[in-house]
Amino acid sequence: MATTTATITLSSTDLLSDELALTTTCTLTKTTTSTGIEDTTGLNRKKITSTAKGTTSGQITLYTADDFAAIPYLYIKNLETTVGNRIFIYDDTTSGDPIQFQLDAGDWAFIPMHGDKTYKAYATTNPTSMEFMVMGQDQ
Amino acid sequence: MATTTAAITLTSDLMSDSISVSASSTLMKAGTTADGLDQMDYGVIEIPTGDQYDLICSTPTASKATKLYVKNHSIDETRYVSIMIDAQDIGRLYGGDWMFIPADFHDANADVEITSNGGTNKIEYALLHEGTTLVAS
Repeated sequence: MATTTATITLSSTDLLSDELALTTTCTLTKTTTSTGIEDTTGLNRKKITSTAKGTTSGQITLYTADDFAAIPYLYIKNLETTVGNRIFIYDDTTSGDPIQFQLDAGDWAFIPMHGDKTYKAYATTNPTSMEFMVMGQDQ
Repeated sequence: MATTTAAITLTSDLMSDSISVSASSTLMKAGTTADGLDQMDYGVIEIPTGDQYDLICSTPTASKATKLYVKNHSIDETRYVSIMIDAQDIGRLYGGDWMFIPADFHDANADVEITSNGGTNKIEYALLHEGTTLVAS
């Protein structure tokens, strides 16, 4: 069985009176079990060339609905260095294509998402580089 | 200026070669690389199953930078919490899972809502931000 872990560290020496040093690790498992996940897209690096949702090309599909069972774990990072070059992650399945979250230059995110929705990305600038990986259980 | 960093490490033996991905970012206010986020709401709370609750009801200012961290401390892998922002499904955290996103609070109603499923879930959360709209008493 494969073992996949995700660790986050939030740290600051001057945000609070005491030092902030929060670290936690989770092991990525098949939904409702303690068995490790077995599938991943691998790490991708791509350029987004679309500056709007709903356009016919240039958006990047991060995950297609029902590709994985239940929970796809998404890691994504905006590789740009210019502040304001944002990436928008949106739900392409739900009416209105609601935005899930946005990444400014240098930002990253990690989130267990909904497996029955398609997620895509567009950006404020053409092109915008990003990397992403989806981990979970294929079905 | 406060300096706060968020780092992630992903490791796995899923593939022929080991996966080891690391990323780190300094949490900045919107539109700048010179001024860090300097406010934080942090808490640990038990969420009973059933109703949807506002996890964070003091709405972060739209268009400002905001980072949201949530962890489900349940040790029962069948329990989960659903996270919504402005009534939109964002994520689902089963026991032990955590999430970290630069949240998109695009209007004044975009608070963070949470629903517990399968039983009570203990949640740890942190909202790092540069200002919220406080709720008048």
